[in-house]
Amino acid sequence: MIALDVQHLSKRFYSGQTPAVFDVSFTVQQGEIIVLVGPSGCGKTTTLRLIAGLERPDAGEIYLGGQIAASQGTFLPPEQRGIGMVFQDHALFPHLNVYDNIAFGLRGKPSAEIRQTVRELLNMVGLEPLAKRFPHALSGGERQRVALARALAPHPVLVLMDEPFSSLDTDLRLEMREQVRSLLKAMNASVVFVTHDQEEALYMGDRLAVFQKGRLEQLGTPEQVFQNSATRFVAEFMGNSAFLSGEVIPGGIQTEVGLLSQPVNLPTGSQVELAVRVDDLDFYPDPAGNAVIVERIFRGVQNVYRLRLDSGLTLQAFKEHITMLPVGQRIQAKLNPGHPLNVFPASH
Amino acid sequence: MSLPRLASLLFILVLLLTACTPASPTTPEIPTTAALSEPTDVPTDVAATESVDQSISGKLVIYSGRSEPLIQPVIDAFKAEYPEVEVLLKAGSNSEIANALIEEQANTQADLFITTELFTVQSLAQQGIFQPYRSTAADQLPPEFVDPNNNWIGLTLRARVIMYNTDLVALEDLPTSIFDLTDPKWKGKIAAAGSTNGSMQAQIAAMRQLLGEEKTEAWLQGLLANEVTFFGGHTDVRKAVGAGEFALGLVNHYYYHLQLDEGSKVGVIYPDQGEGQLGLITNATAVAVVKGAQNVSAAQAFVDFLVSEQGQKLFAEQNYEYPLLPGVSLRDGVQPLESFRLAEVNVAEAALDSDATFDLMEKLGLP
Amino acid sequence: MNGSDAPMPPVLVSPLQRLRAASNRLTTRSAFPVLLAGLAGLVALFLAVPVVYIFLRAVGADGEAWQRLLQARLWKLLGNTLLLMLAVTGGALVTGASMAWLTERSDLPGRKFFRWMFALPLAIPAYIGGIVHLALLRPRGGMLPRLLENLLGQPVYTPSPLGFWGAAFILILFTFPYVYLLSGAAFRSQHASLEEAARMLGYRPLRTFFSVTLPAMRPGLLAGALLVALDILAEYGTVALLRYETFSSAIFVQLSGRYDRSAAAVLSGVLVGLAVIILWAELRSQGRARFTQMESSWRPAPTIRLVKWRIPALLVAGGVAFTSLLVPVGVLTTWSIQAVLDPETLRSVLHSGSMGFSNFAWNSLWTSFLAALLAITLSVPVALFSVRHPSRISRFIARVCQVGYAIPGVVIALSLVLLVNRALPFLYATPFIVVIAYVLRHVPQAVRASEAALNQVSPTLEEAARVSGRTPVQAFVQVSFPLILPGLLAGGALVFLTSLKELPATLLLRPAGFDTLAVRVWVWASDGFYVQAAPAALFLVLISAVPLSFLLRREQIFK
Repeated sequence: MIALDVQHLSKRFYSGQTPAVFDVSFTVQQGEIIVLVGPSGCGKTTTLRLIAGLERPDAGEIYLGGQIAASQGTFLPPEQRGIGMVFQDHALFPHLNVYDNIAFGLRGKPSAEIRQTVRELLNMVGLEPLAKRFPHALSGGERQRVALARALAPHPVLVLMDEPFSSLDTDLRLEMREQVRSLLKAMNASVVFVTHDQEEALYMGDRLAVFQKGRLEQLGTPEQVFQNSATRFVAEFMGNSAFLSGEVIPGGIQTEVGLLSQPVNLPTGSQVELAVRVDDLDFYPDPAGNAVIVERIFRGVQNVYRLRLDSGLTLQAFKEHITMLPVGQRIQAKLNPGHPLNVFPASH
Repeated sequence: MSLPRLASLLFILVLLLTACTPASPTTPEIPTTAALSEPTDVPTDVAATESVDQSISGKLVIYSGRSEPLIQPVIDAFKAEYPEVEVLLKAGSNSEIANALIEEQANTQADLFITTELFTVQSLAQQGIFQPYRSTAADQLPPEFVDPNNNWIGLTLRARVIMYNTDLVALEDLPTSIFDLTDPKWKGKIAAAGSTNGSMQAQIAAMRQLLGEEKTEAWLQGLLANEVTFFGGHTDVRKAVGAGEFALGLVNHYYYHLQLDEGSKVGVIYPDQGEGQLGLITNATAVAVVKGAQNVSAAQAFVDFLVSEQGQKLFAEQNYEYPLLPGVSLRDGVQPLESFRLAEVNVAEAALDSDATFDLMEKLGLP
Repeated sequence: MNGSDAPMPPVLVSPLQRLRAASNRLTTRSAFPVLLAGLAGLVALFLAVPVVYIFLRAVGADGEAWQRLLQARLWKLLGNTLLLMLAVTGGALVTGASMAWLTERSDLPGRKFFRWMFALPLAIPAYIGGIVHLALLRPRGGMLPRLLENLLGQPVYTPSPLGFWGAAFILILFTFPYVYLLSGAAFRSQHASLEEAARMLGYRPLRTFFSVTLPAMRPGLLAGALLVALDILAEYGTVALLRYETFSSAIFVQLSGRYDRSAAAVLSGVLVGLAVIILWAELRSQGRARFTQMESSWRPAPTIRLVKWRIPALLVAGGVAFTSLLVPVGVLTTWSIQAVLDPETLRSVLHSGSMGFSNFAWNSLWTSFLAALLAITLSVPVALFSVRHPSRISRFIARVCQVGYAIPGVVIALSLVLLVNRALPFLYATPFIVVIAYVLRHVPQAVRASEAALNQVSPTLEEAARVSGRTPVQAFVQVSFPLILPGLLAGGALVFLTSLKELPATLLLRPAGFDTLAVRVWVWASDGFYVQAAPAALFLVLISAVPLSFLLRREQIFK
């Protein structure tokens, strides 16, 4: 069953300006978590708000559980969409306690059912002892869980999550990710999750939708998006790729740091660019090498080295933390064999 | 309850409250076009009943140019006589009240107008603000203090005098004329009421009629050059003179008596008594029933009360004024007017010219 | 909010385009914002009509009226008014800021006590303070000169409270708390690091104060100064009492003078024009003052030890508290006791005018209360529209709703007399016209309070309620309203307080037999009956202190 179907969605806030969202289409299957990811200002939050009904689209259709929610001439207000939403700032009602916050979306149901549902959810998020607390007396993680419980309580067709972990500190964020994902999966919830953090996107999503400048650049599984980036932007954004020039030759691509033996659908002699991530490059000291170490960045378990190639291009590569090489050391850099790389025609 | 319902309920509530408010007139409208064109020579067939109707009741709205302390005792006495009448008083400066009456012509609020001088009441009568009523006592009053058309009736007389602080002024230095007030030796030592005060306005109007524009203007300029301090009302003047803040004060005569009562060392001069001089300027106070009044019977009863022996006695006793009803005695210490030479002013004529009086005050910037 | 995700404008957009976009948003959105816009627009219209009307009357007045005024009065009045405004604003700035420095940044003994002492004069209407000081200091007639004369056996020169200097002195005493409160808040919110940075760069303490501390407070000081300036333009009672002629008092005189409103309308038009200029500056400074925000690393700036200046500072602070609060309250209390002890006076206090004491106290209370309720009710749609749906239109409406600050009581009264008598005669000469005047004049305070309260409530709360199945109206009633209620109550308390103190509009608009405490005090005192006036004045001050202390207690330091 399809929980959400978005077709050709567009939204422009000011006429004459670039649209905030342009011609975006995707679907969410029942029980699927789809993550909208991209840099700030890319249109992911606007898309989420369009789905919620907090903004009105200029064009396109939105179907929720097969029912039309927005189209040309139809606009279901948010309160009629049956959606759950977790806000970036959690948006817990400060004048209601935890119990009443969770029960807020259950109005109109028999009170026994409300009690039952809230108890279940409190139990599920592990907040039963805090039911009478008010939001200001909760920790960040507790607030997060109340917000999630509130969104899930009415058993919505779709749960929207807008950067829900961004207000938490790093440790808690990692912990919450795991808890929330397993909870969502346990409830078989259909989720649209917005984040600007690529790592979080890769972890949370069954599928990823990468946004840039209001457009959907690529839609696919985390592995597809990471390994088979559809555009240069996706490759750059997912995994902080650097770009290395090369030329197509029979049998692969010739680069400054060796031959990449990978089939390409381009005629021999084409200029291309390869997206190189930190794990795609290896190097060893060599006074006659093709690069020099310009900086070592200690990352605990790894040392990340910034290497300047003779062409002037700077690439990054890591070594385990016990290998320490001095800045200024001349080295030979080469592509790791067996790493398939994303190849794009040269942009200029 | 939803917000729109709440809001609409609130508005309805406010409207209801407004509609129910007692002061708003609910009686039929009066023909307003007639108010301006109606001839003033209405026959005096409005009979006054000698015996007071004890069933007179309701609200009586009095607009008074006499300040509150000078009218409240009379109102209290009236209420003792007519306990069923609720008197609502709006006291203010004479011309402020007159302005209100003109403003409200189409939406009459007042039943009665009490004024401190005749020019205003005459001018308003010419504009058709009042309805005629002839009190039985009218026949006993001097005829010049009863409007020929019965639009208004006089109540008392007051004299324009100079009061002085006996500590500050030696007997031989005393001024004898209001023109002495422009003498530079009094610079900064004189207090008077300002341009909003009815008695002061009346004095200027009278002087314009008797002496002409030029001499009046010169006199006022003399006062201004002498740095006379102009107060909003005469109570301030008498208190300031009584306290020794000023040597001289240009006031109505009873302010001297009131200040004397407070134990101050003050004296009084009835000015301009010499041969060829202006004579003593007097103002009459008057009362008129407003056209479109809601409670005509109570208004007429109040008029009757004011010109009755009881009412006149109150003015004389409480406030040292000169009652117009013959036979009512003056309060002890008040010098009878018969002993002075009075300036004779044609009120009706001066009233026609009231705008020019205001023009003059404004031109000179009289505070 | 759409702001975070909306792309930066790549091209310059003309204001016209933006306006069209804003109106597009209005029309394409749901009915609720349209309803809000309509309500807010109606409120703005209601507030703007009296001002526009007076302006039209002023412009439409015959040339002769302008001519006459230009020749005789206008320039002098303008000079008088501006001079007083500058003097009082300057005086209030110096007094308010220095008292704020003493209580917030120095180790002055009894700071908590002095905070109350410097804030409470706001409960005393300036004209009541003026009455007390006039009775005390009036040359020769005053209580103090007479006392000195009796003691020393000869008249002693004492400074007169009359005229320009007297009016400036009295008005500074009773307006400096505005500056005190605003600059006190600014002093408290200052970063320690700000001054520390200056000291590290080699600035000595005094230089640091003048080149860093004070400039950083400029927005707060400016806001306070402009509030004082608007107050002075509107002031009637004090200047009339102390015989210094300004626009407000001149309009009052005009109204009670010749039978012609056009001169008053002309003066009002000029006065409103003047006030609108100051209001405009005030609104601009408000925008800038908002940038002074606290960050998480905030540390209060340290208190500065006065050492040998402790005693002089204590004397100055005590002197200010003495003249602005203790003297008026003390004298009023003494007079009130005299009034109660003297049966004759007591009788006239209890049964004066057309009605008794309880009657006009009740009138004061219910009119001010109703005005507060209405002002807050009207302010809510305006605040909702401007805070939740920011656009040119909503900003414009919010600005229009601030215009009441710029219309002095006399002008509102004149405008209402002319307007209501023609358009709504059934309202004329009822107490409700007085209430309308209060509402017109004080809605700006309510709008500011409601906007501030609403700004504290994240819009995501309303959105959370929406996705939880609530309509916009339900979301407001169930979520936003309970959260902004304390702020609304504070706004209401402010309107209540200022309405209680209002004098000129009440004087001109009250129907016959309808007195308020303020009117009673004024009528008695202007006839010199100070003792009679005292109980009403004291009562007015005491009930004004109730909403004021409620407002002050919202601040941490007054708890």
